[in-house]
Amino acid sequence: MFLRLLWESFVRQRRRKLLAGIAILFGTTAVTAMLALATTIGDRIHKELAVYGANIVVYPKAEQLAVKVGGVDIKPATGNAYLKESDLSKLKTIFWANNINGISPELPLQLKHVFPDGTTPISAVGLWFHHPLGSGAATITTGASELHPSWKLNGSWPTSKEEAVIGSSLSNRLNLRTGDNLPVIAANTQNLHITGTVSTGDENDEKLLLPLATAQFLNNTPDAVSRVEVSARTKPEDSFARTDPDTLSPKQREIWYCRPYANSISYQIREVIPGAAAEQIRKVEQTEGTVLARISGLMWLISIAALLAASFAVSAAMATAILERRGEIGLMRSLGASKASIALLFYAESGLLALFAGVLGYLFGSGLAAWLGAHIFAGSGVPAIAVSTLPATSIFIPVLLPVVVATALIVAIAGSTPSIRSALKMDPSSVLRANA
Amino acid sequence: MSEAKVVAEIKSDWPANTTRPDCAVISLEGVCREYAGRGDVVRALEDATFSIVAGEWVAITGPSGSGKSTLVNMLGCLDRPTRGELKIDNVDVASMSSTELDRFRAEKIGFIFQQFHLIPYLSAVENVMLAQYFHSMTDEKEAKAALDRVGLGHRTGHLPSELSGGEQQRVCIARALINNPPILLADEPTGNLDAANQAIVADLLKDLHRNGHTVVMVTHDPEMATLAQRRIALSHGKVFCHPVGGPIVTLRR
Ligand SMILES: Nc1ncnc2c1ncn2[C@@H]1O[C@H](COP(=O)(O)OP(=O)(O)O)[C@@H](O)[C@H]1O
Ligand SMILES: [Mg+2]
Repeated sequence: MFLRLLWESFVRQRRRKLLAGIAILFGTTAVTAMLALATTIGDRIHKELAVYGANIVVYPKAEQLAVKVGGVDIKPATGNAYLKESDLSKLKTIFWANNINGISPELPLQLKHVFPDGTTPISAVGLWFHHPLGSGAATITTGASELHPSWKLNGSWPTSKEEAVIGSSLSNRLNLRTGDNLPVIAANTQNLHITGTVSTGDENDEKLLLPLATAQFLNNTPDAVSRVEVSARTKPEDSFARTDPDTLSPKQREIWYCRPYANSISYQIREVIPGAAAEQIRKVEQTEGTVLARISGLMWLISIAALLAASFAVSAAMATAILERRGEIGLMRSLGASKASIALLFYAESGLLALFAGVLGYLFGSGLAAWLGAHIFAGSGVPAIAVSTLPATSIFIPVLLPVVVATALIVAIAGSTPSIRSALKMDPSSVLRANA
Repeated sequence: MSEAKVVAEIKSDWPANTTRPDCAVISLEGVCREYAGRGDVVRALEDATFSIVAGEWVAITGPSGSGKSTLVNMLGCLDRPTRGELKIDNVDVASMSSTELDRFRAEKIGFIFQQFHLIPYLSAVENVMLAQYFHSMTDEKEAKAALDRVGLGHRTGHLPSELSGGEQQRVCIARALINNPPILLADEPTGNLDAANQAIVADLLKDLHRNGHTVVMVTHDPEMATLAQRRIALSHGKVFCHPVGGPIVTLRR
């Protein structure tokens, strides 16, 4: 009987319920979108960064120290201190070797593009593309191509010393396309074949990307590497992570060393690579953090406003809906219905409405989140990978459904409470009389 | 002659009322009901003192606005007296909590309304089952039997809007009797009906009365009023109790 009553009264007064339902729908859509973005995209960015993004950078120690003798800088910051490419395999021998997902060594250099009637300077950088690291079963394939999955390549990565890919801006500026040949000169000369254009979203768009070995040859610096980006799975930094291991007791130091903090891994890298400095990169996480904070702050505001509006709309709709039905309430009272059982009926009714609207809001909100993710946040500083690689289905986060439905229920219950209370306060005898 | 005196005279006229107070299903002692109107107080019922005995059929008569509905609603515990003591089955209504009153209403009272007050979106049988639902448990067979008893066994699935006024009132009666309450309160049950339907309803009420229900019936119709054993006349909120023909009290239980 309860269900019959509930259903029959639920399908009545459709216009009012539609109004209340739409209000809840808007509210829950906003909340779903907000939560989906905050969790999925946030999660995803973290995951992508953890898997692909570099979080440690290794560079020659001399680079950071300006060596001055008698006031004269004998080691300029741009100087020619290099790491050895041949040392890089040692990275796979450190304690946390298995946490190293990939590395990308770099060797920047200046080239000249040779024309029949002159030359143009070109910035270039030597990189690894699908390069093996380590030995035996532990060998991984890594390089710039792996560490920067957000780079959009049109064509293919270089597979031989004579091949290169060109940054998109440089490609436009010099009108060089995939398939073109490009003779270049530095310390040595090389005729390069362009196998693709790449859009990186950073300064590499202005560069020619060469295999590291080609760069070393052109620069006449065999085995040289200026900088290595390392992507390692790390434990989030805490205050213990930031302590200087040399100030710790041997036991504490041991513990510190054996935790996969970015700092401990950097420390271990410094141990195996002679003359290397290794540091954690925080910049990316910070930008990501501020962008996310900005987005979610705004979304929270919208959500709270939407939910408040929804609960006012529910309250208004329920007030008229219940007023129209006060005769029924009076009758039920005359049949001995307690206030509680009538309240239950009306609450169940708005609860049912909330359920429908909440589920719909969840679906709409998930869609909205996918759309927002694809259209608005792309290029806003959130790494494109986090957004562009989201398959449409992955935005449906099942855990959010109960959360969103519960929110809808709370809104509906809060919104209908004032009218239900006032309806129950009405004197049933005068209600029955008024209906004469 | 003051009102209070009239009441006293009638009470002394009627031994059952004083000698067997345990039989009084309903007893009122100086019951007043006032409504706080704009500025002044509306006295809908003033100083009502009388009793209704179990199994009695009482007609409440009086001009419009004389407080008949107010009285019936208080008897049905839908409303509480502003002052005075109202006892139903020897329990002081004022001493009961509102949940107790709800329970009391579900078990002891069956309402029959002039406007029927059927739920428009429930079928006839569901309207009857609603009373079962708030009383205890629904039983469709029993609800259909009740409709059968009022001659609507063939219309159980119809919505109120598909029924005539007389039929709707019979659904209302079936609903009122479904939980077998000792007291039936009928507020102008035939007020909206034509003569033929009035006769049907009158027969049903006679039947219910014969089966031991206490019937308190508000009516304008003198013919209906003659069916009752006693008439309580109201005028401007004041009560006059009349023995109406025949034996004053017939106890059938
Ligand atoms: N809720 C109320 N507020 C104020 N006055 C009321 C209310 N209910 C009834 N009254 C007044 O009480 C008097 C008795 O009403 P009622 O019992 O409905 O009379 P009857 O049923 O005899 O026509 C009337 O004057 C009516 O206006
Ligand atoms: Mg009336």
